[in-house]
Amino acid sequence: MLELFVRFLVIGALAFGGGEAALPVVERLTVADTGWLTSAQFATGIGLSFATPGPVLILAAFIGYHVTGVPGALTATAAVFAVPVVVAGFAAQVVDKFKEAGWFRAFGRYAAAAAIGLLGVTLIALARPIVDIHPMLLLGAAAVFAAEMRGLHPIMLIVTATLIGAVSSIAGITL
Amino acid sequence: MPPDDDELSRSGDPGEHPGLARVAWALLRIGAVAFGGLGATLALLNRDLVERRGWLLATDVTEALAYTKPLPGSTVVQVVTFLGWRLGRWPGAIVATIMFLIPAFAIMTTAAAAVFALPDAPVVRSALVGLQVAVIGILGAALWRLARSEAGSVPLIVVLTAAFATGLFVNAALVVGVAGLIGVVIDRVKRHA
Repeated sequence: MLELFVRFLVIGALAFGGGEAALPVVERLTVADTGWLTSAQFATGIGLSFATPGPVLILAAFIGYHVTGVPGALTATAAVFAVPVVVAGFAAQVVDKFKEAGWFRAFGRYAAAAAIGLLGVTLIALARPIVDIHPMLLLGAAAVFAAEMRGLHPIMLIVTATLIGAVSSIAGITL
Repeated sequence: MPPDDDELSRSGDPGEHPGLARVAWALLRIGAVAFGGLGATLALLNRDLVERRGWLLATDVTEALAYTKPLPGSTVVQVVTFLGWRLGRWPGAIVATIMFLIPAFAIMTTAAAAVFALPDAPVVRSALVGLQVAVIGILGAALWRLARSEAGSVPLIVVLTAAFATGLFVNAALVVGVAGLIGVVIDRVKRHA
């Protein structure tokens, strides 16, 4: 439980570029390092975090729940938002002084760019189990990408893809 | 309170505080319908707290975004914290944040319980494969959008690409930290140039 708390505290403190950009660090600290989740479970969690209201990092509740039930969900959620909330509160308090902290903004800009690059690595990690099932499934992912870029809502896409998966199984297509 | 000379702090005057209970209720309601990420949530906050209730100014929302964006952490939540602070200092910030997160937490925990309790049937497996395929596409779109908005200069694009390459072998947390430090150095050099 302490490990869960510390790992999510670190994730929150390093989440430059916002919740989505933090996913690589989440993947590294809770999947690759600990084996708490499989890649497929991690992808399911991300899917749910896109489909639920609120921040993407509510994914912490999903992972925490898997590790130690509801107390784990609560612990991970509190930890992942602790640092960001405190710094945001302080930012509100010292807004004018903060404006001048150019070095800090520079740190944030570059850290965010790196986090986005790392998102590519996460994408590969998530795609690997899918490719193992069938490489053609990537065409589905490409279709979702195109639909999302055209403004279709992520929830719609997630629900549709989940249903297609279920129906294809009922139709006798085994994956 | 020290005297402030710009209009930014107007909405922060204690006389205008709506009270913690009303802040709590408003943010609980917003938290329950805050689908669709940062952009959609900003619109919601603006519609409810600025236009409907008149507790804040539109500039409060844009400032909240501007100042929390460079900070580490979920920007959606930080904007709420920032606005909560303006509505009621630290108690306002804490109450607003917790209330905003309650619906997401409750829904996600319930969903997690449901997913992990699912039987290992072919239908379930295939449905989850469908979900994962969608996640890859959506995350790809998020990556594309983030890269376009956050990596607007050559050095940032280089850092982004280098992070991708090194991230295949090096700890993600380390890559993010080192990239930030490189940014500080570049900033320093530019300033002294």
